[in-house]
Amino acid sequence: MLPLRIAWRFLRSSPAQSGLIVAGIAVGIATQIFVGSIIVSLQASLLETTIGSAAHITIKALKESDPVRFSPEMQKLVTSDPRVKPGTVVPVRSVSALFSNGTDSSSLGVLGGDLKALDGIYKLTKRTVSGVTSINNGEIMLGKDFAEKFGITVGETISLKFANNQTGSFKVTGIFDLGSAQFNLRNAFVTGTVPQNVLGWANDQYSSVQMQLNQPYDSAKIAQQWSQQLPGVSILEWQGQNKDLLVGLQSQSMSSYMIQGFVLVAVALGIASTLAIAAVQKTRQIGILKAMGLADRPAGQVFLWQAAILGAAGSAGGVVASFALLALFQLAPVRFEITMQPSFVTVSALIGIIVALLSSIIPTRQTSRLDPIEVIQNG
Amino acid sequence: MADGCAEGTLLMANDLSKTYGEGETATHALQGVSLEMCEGEFAAIVGQSGSGKSTLLNLLGLLDTPSDGSVRYQGRDISELDKAGRARLRNGLIGFVFQAHYLLPEFSVLENVEMPGRIGGNVPIADLRKRAIETLALLGLEGLERKNANQLSGGQKQRVAIARALVNRPALLLADEPTGNLDTLNTNLVYDLFRQINRDTGTAFLIVTHDRSIAERTDRILEITDGRLVQDIRTRDVVSDA
Repeated sequence: MLPLRIAWRFLRSSPAQSGLIVAGIAVGIATQIFVGSIIVSLQASLLETTIGSAAHITIKALKESDPVRFSPEMQKLVTSDPRVKPGTVVPVRSVSALFSNGTDSSSLGVLGGDLKALDGIYKLTKRTVSGVTSINNGEIMLGKDFAEKFGITVGETISLKFANNQTGSFKVTGIFDLGSAQFNLRNAFVTGTVPQNVLGWANDQYSSVQMQLNQPYDSAKIAQQWSQQLPGVSILEWQGQNKDLLVGLQSQSMSSYMIQGFVLVAVALGIASTLAIAAVQKTRQIGILKAMGLADRPAGQVFLWQAAILGAAGSAGGVVASFALLALFQLAPVRFEITMQPSFVTVSALIGIIVALLSSIIPTRQTSRLDPIEVIQNG
Repeated sequence: MADGCAEGTLLMANDLSKTYGEGETATHALQGVSLEMCEGEFAAIVGQSGSGKSTLLNLLGLLDTPSDGSVRYQGRDISELDKAGRARLRNGLIGFVFQAHYLLPEFSVLENVEMPGRIGGNVPIADLRKRAIETLALLGLEGLERKNANQLSGGQKQRVAIARALVNRPALLLADEPTGNLDTLNTNLVYDLFRQINRDTGTAFLIVTHDRSIAERTDRILEITDGRLVQDIRTRDVVSDA
């Protein structure tokens, strides 16, 4: 391990220079982790807000007003697909209703289904902000914005008029907030038999079958595959219905990658130039070592080891600095939680070391090629 | 050329030439030099500045490659060796002392002396350290092992460089104006050391100097003029002296 020993001594002989390189790498890696973590957390938060409580894939009849049959074949296909998040396959019946309090009125989409199944997507239990999560017969859960608009509180009974002139009275058991004012204002949850009776559908007929995926970005691919396996139904997926959001998220990712890429290029150039200068500074020593019999390969390894040490130290410093930066950032009033993925931190640190190693290629080659006679003749 | 070697032939240079540049701008630094050196010989190369003596030393020390001719060490033609092979041979067989000490300032005196052994990797570290300490003691440098090379005087630095050249127990020590930067007192000290080491260890010495009086303290003087070996004088009988 003579090259490592020599590399270490060379680095120690110029502590200021070595310290500056380590600091440069640390700043680069800290920026990489900091920016990357913020963007990833922001996207996760945005995704959770927009589609966290919504279906990623919705299966409907081709004609909007027709029911879709939740056949055993369809049930088997969707529930056995490992890409579907377990416990989130929800057959839903929905019917339009009119609410009026005498002075004001509003249309309401009444979604009916099994509470346990609905909870898989809409997370009603978690998102109940007032009252209890319950939709037994004669019970209804209203959105926060709807309840506020009409001054309805938990325990009150409201009357709804359905499309076929049927009416129904429901006791408000709970108020939910799904994070979208529009959804809170326009939708309510009841037991599945309410819309079934209004629509007069059979037990296996539903307005739609909704589900969430383990990886939301798989939705387009899965929808395309299923549309071949499930003829006669319409398969909608969230990306197709939220193109603007998708473009925004992709642009955000792209800008994040570009920032991280430029940071890494800057780090690489910094290390490469400093190591090249260091190689020139140590030409005399390398020449003497070669005169004493040090072969080209171990001579070149000296700068490879220097780069590895600098890269490892800089990356370690960068990881520590990124934790400190994120801790500071958490003090600011941000509306989303920033989490650092251990895998992302590890990959970033490894990138730092790899960039440092790549940056040592030029000085390593210079050193390998150095002829000791050049040093001896030039004194 | 020496008249046969009682202890065996250490090196044989045959028709060595070195030319820098090409065509009209070509400079013939060395032309057709042939010589034989015996094991344990104590010799000097003399000549004016620019006569080609350092070029000859660099070729014999495998630091440079000849434009023409060959060098054989202990019967082996070194033109058969690749760069790594020449580096190994240089490390194991040859020690160098230059006018500048060329010590590594990043390492202590002891580490500098150990360096050729560490490069060679053939001697266990503990044995190498013991050998380095003994060599430093032989050169009167006890107690300076932990010091940095920059903390020593000029004479001490050159003696450390000599210790470094000797630590691998080379068959040949090549010295290029080793006392060029030293005062008379240190110059005499260094040559006395060379002679003592030559007698005690059997290491052959080939010393480049422009100072004839120094050369006369050796057993053989090789004189180079304009890149040619013009004189090869034996001043003492090596075998009987040893």
